[in-house]
Amino acid sequence: MSDVRYSALMRHYKCMESTQFNSQILNHSDQLFRLAKSILRNGEAAQDAVQDLIMKLWEKKSKLDEVENIQGFILRSMRNLCLDTIRQKHEEDELPVEIEFIELNPYQQTEQKDLALKVKRMIDKLPELQRTIIRMRDVEGMELSEIAYITSITENAVSVNLSRARQRIREQIINEQKRVEETIWK
Amino acid sequence: MEMMNELLEKYFRGETTLQEEKELRQYFSTGNVSPEHQIYSALFENFEQEMKETAPRPVHRFLPEVKIRKRIWIQSFAITGIAASFILLFWIRLPQSSEDFAVINGKRIDNTEYIQRYTEKKLIKVNTMLARSMKPLQSIKSVRQNMQPLENLSDVRSKMEDIQNKLQFK
Repeated sequence: MSDVRYSALMRHYKCMESTQFNSQILNHSDQLFRLAKSILRNGEAAQDAVQDLIMKLWEKKSKLDEVENIQGFILRSMRNLCLDTIRQKHEEDELPVEIEFIELNPYQQTEQKDLALKVKRMIDKLPELQRTIIRMRDVEGMELSEIAYITSITENAVSVNLSRARQRIREQIINEQKRVEETIWK
Repeated sequence: MEMMNELLEKYFRGETTLQEEKELRQYFSTGNVSPEHQIYSALFENFEQEMKETAPRPVHRFLPEVKIRKRIWIQSFAITGIAASFILLFWIRLPQSSEDFAVINGKRIDNTEYIQRYTEKKLIKVNTMLARSMKPLQSIKSVRQNMQPLENLSDVRSKMEDIQNKLQFK
């Protein structure tokens, strides 16, 4: 897109309705991207999913005023759209998982020093519901009620899944620590 | 230390509040972490990194330009319409709000009867002037009527030529 068209587009966004759309939807675009990437485990696919959702919301922007919890609504829509994408891809072929999520060979494992990245991989290996919940809580800082609304389950179920996800990550971190210690002593 | 142990246990059971989780993040971000808790540093470090992750491309570029243009047109029409109706409103209401008067020879006249008579007088004058200027047109009409027989001369001439030709042929 040329600079002229881009600046013209930016002027359009200063118009009343676009500004409203901006504050309602586009301000959450980073949050939408993080959620989509967590579910799809692929940056490109996440970006396409966000684009798809934004287009759909733009077409129905006049009805957005009727929505009470706009943040919850768009995040819930994002998750549903991503789950549909996974279902469709599963029918056709597997969604390509990015290299950072692929199991590393023993040599690569010893080379990998970034423990934070290892934790990221551990979270990505969790079931979809658990990794979505742990990220919504620990990355986005959401209340259990908000997560329950987005994931369409009860608050109690959110709490149970959050606990299971954290326990699982804890076990994996402890196992990883043991493995590193054993490698050093050998 | 003991408090942090309890808080961590509570965290892994999924029972901590958002405020307690904030305290845990602050504890691990200070760098002053107890060796026995060091093992969990990477977990909170990962969350901090993920928080900073943003969408690679600005999302507003995805929106269709055509639809926005259409919207702009609608808006400009609406604005123009509103402005026009305001002007019309002032235009219609202005004479109603003010009194009836006329300016004759640079003076303001409020007497409506006088204005009416004056206007009628002026209109009669204009009518007379028009009638006078139409008079030359009437004389043109009479000249045209008088010229009518001359138009028949060409027909008479052509008939005479025909007769002459026939006589010569014989």
